[in-house]
Amino acid sequence: MVPPPLVAASRQRRLVSGDRLFRVIAYGAAGLIMLIAVLFLIALVVPALPAITKFGLAFFTSRTWDPVRDQFGALTPIYGTLVTSAIALLIAFPIGLGAALFLAEEARLSLLRGPLSFLIELLAGIPSVVIGLWAFFVLTALMRDKVDPFLNHTLGFLPLFGGTPTGYGFLTAGLVLAIMVLPIMIALSRDVIRAVPRELREASLALGATNAETIWSVILPYARVGITGAVLLSLGRALGETIAVTMVIGNTMQISASLFASGYTLPSVIANEFTEATGNVYLGSLFYLGVVLVLITIAVNVLARLLIWRFSGSGRVAG
Amino acid sequence: MKRVLLALSVGVAVLLAACGGSTTGNNPATGGSGVPTPPQASLIGTGATFPAPFYDAARFAYNQKFSQATINYNALGSGAGISQLTKKVVDFGASDVPMNAAELTAAGGSDKVVQIASTLGTESLAYNLSGVSNGKLKLTPKTIAGIFLGTIKNWNDPALAADNSGVSLPSQAISVVHRSDGSGTTYIFTDYLSTISTDWKGKVGKGKSVSWPVGQGAKGNEAVATTIKQTPGAIGYVELAYVIQTNMTQASLQNHDGNFVIPSPDGATAAASQFLAISPTQFSIVDAPGKTSAPISGYSWLMLYKDQADKNKGTALVDFLDWLVTDGQQYAVNVHYAKLPSNIVNDDINSLKTVTSGGSTLLNVPAPS
Repeated sequence: MVPPPLVAASRQRRLVSGDRLFRVIAYGAAGLIMLIAVLFLIALVVPALPAITKFGLAFFTSRTWDPVRDQFGALTPIYGTLVTSAIALLIAFPIGLGAALFLAEEARLSLLRGPLSFLIELLAGIPSVVIGLWAFFVLTALMRDKVDPFLNHTLGFLPLFGGTPTGYGFLTAGLVLAIMVLPIMIALSRDVIRAVPRELREASLALGATNAETIWSVILPYARVGITGAVLLSLGRALGETIAVTMVIGNTMQISASLFASGYTLPSVIANEFTEATGNVYLGSLFYLGVVLVLITIAVNVLARLLIWRFSGSGRVAG
Repeated sequence: MKRVLLALSVGVAVLLAACGGSTTGNNPATGGSGVPTPPQASLIGTGATFPAPFYDAARFAYNQKFSQATINYNALGSGAGISQLTKKVVDFGASDVPMNAAELTAAGGSDKVVQIASTLGTESLAYNLSGVSNGKLKLTPKTIAGIFLGTIKNWNDPALAADNSGVSLPSQAISVVHRSDGSGTTYIFTDYLSTISTDWKGKVGKGKSVSWPVGQGAKGNEAVATTIKQTPGAIGYVELAYVIQTNMTQASLQNHDGNFVIPSPDGATAAASQFLAISPTQFSIVDAPGKTSAPISGYSWLMLYKDQADKNKGTALVDFLDWLVTDGQQYAVNVHYAKLPSNIVNDDINSLKTVTSGGSTLLNVPAPS
């Protein structure tokens, strides 16, 4: 005869061993991801070593990119990457935030909401190479013949809009990036705005505030941190975009005040030059650019995650 | 049933292999004009994108002729071609510029690798000027260097007008378009500029990527061609094949003898035949003398190891390359590359004859005439 406690104990033991198995699998999977990340970083840094040892930190301040003489510096593509991404955010931020407010606040009962949400998802789903093709064949001509001359005519006294427009360059690339980050900007901001507690909204309206006042002084301050996170995630997307930018940036190693001028971005240099880069230092410099790009995007993404996590985690006005 | 099929297919394979082995040599029935029949093998090559259309057409035709030999080619760029050959993960590599001393050392020494010229290309200067039709724009070495150095900025520059009496050149800014990706096309063009202009040689130099004084970059011949077509006032160097295929307007170029020629495959062959001693260290044929020579021409190269570990594969490889530089050249012409001149074909065959496996020569063809 077996006493009941023993049965219970053995069942418990079985449960415990199942628990252990699960734990092993979960830890293993988590460990594997970390291993892949570490191996990836090693695989990126090791080929970059010839360039890292030759140029060191001067790589970040040098404007030279001369494969013939094996002299390389990252300042020009870093500048191009930051400028195009900044243009993209300057355009995408107001439009994206407006659209997000419309979707979250105004369009709750509107017939427009469904089609608009669908279109935004559609925009998010267009592969970047297709956007690049459209930009290369349509947008560049439009910029050269209409938009750039107009800006040059009205704002030409600023060095930003001086020079001869060719249709290719920082402004066109920034515009393409803006189109590509808009869906992220809209979707994330909309979710953040929707997460603002209903009570706050109602309290504001009950105190006699208009809808616009409620949005301006209650909803936006509350969602500020989350919206900043959305902007940073959009920035992360813009920094790394390669093919569409390569097609319209003009691929010229120059730093120019004019937004009509051709330039270069970090991903474009790598994509353009790796196939025929035969020297150790040359190839190493391309890997070094890769390291720089990874560091910038990791920093931006970590910052964005922290902000969004802080917003949704604490559930109160932060910052 | 499955087993029978398996046995049958193995039998066929053995038979084919045996055939290949026994009939290597001069077999008019299968090989045509002295082209050896390869043994059964599957070969892999990697490298340059510039000659890829030719290699693709040629390897397909070779497989049609000899179904037992399959040749794969991945157009990943010259860098990949050299590094994958060095790591011995491919049977042959392809590059627009022959391997240099450092690369040969990394591959085990210059005596370990055979490099042969596989095809010949020439470049055009395509432009977008309304009212100036094909071949009407005349460019001299001096004006070409001026445009790409940025000293000639406008189409109505006196230097251009002097060479183009009778053509009305507009007052329009010149937009220079160049390749943004590293490429053999750029190497040949900058080699030309370095040859004709000491200014260019001193300030920029030659390479597959260079630090351009002016202009904007586009990725690949197609994008350069399209950018020129879309940008009024643009000019850029484009491989002849793309100029012909996309009906672009191209300039007449003044060659070494002072004649203005419109680049053509025949012009490239004429230029190449001016240089008898071509080797992997001495391979430039730009600015060639001769009445009809196209000035911006160059070879593309294939590399293989001199000592082949696998005799079967090695034999198939040299047999294929022997065909590629002889009968296979007709496929180069189809895609607007130029035929190799006969002296280079002979050099190639002599080089291929030095390829061995276990000490014995793999290529059995009569000595080139």
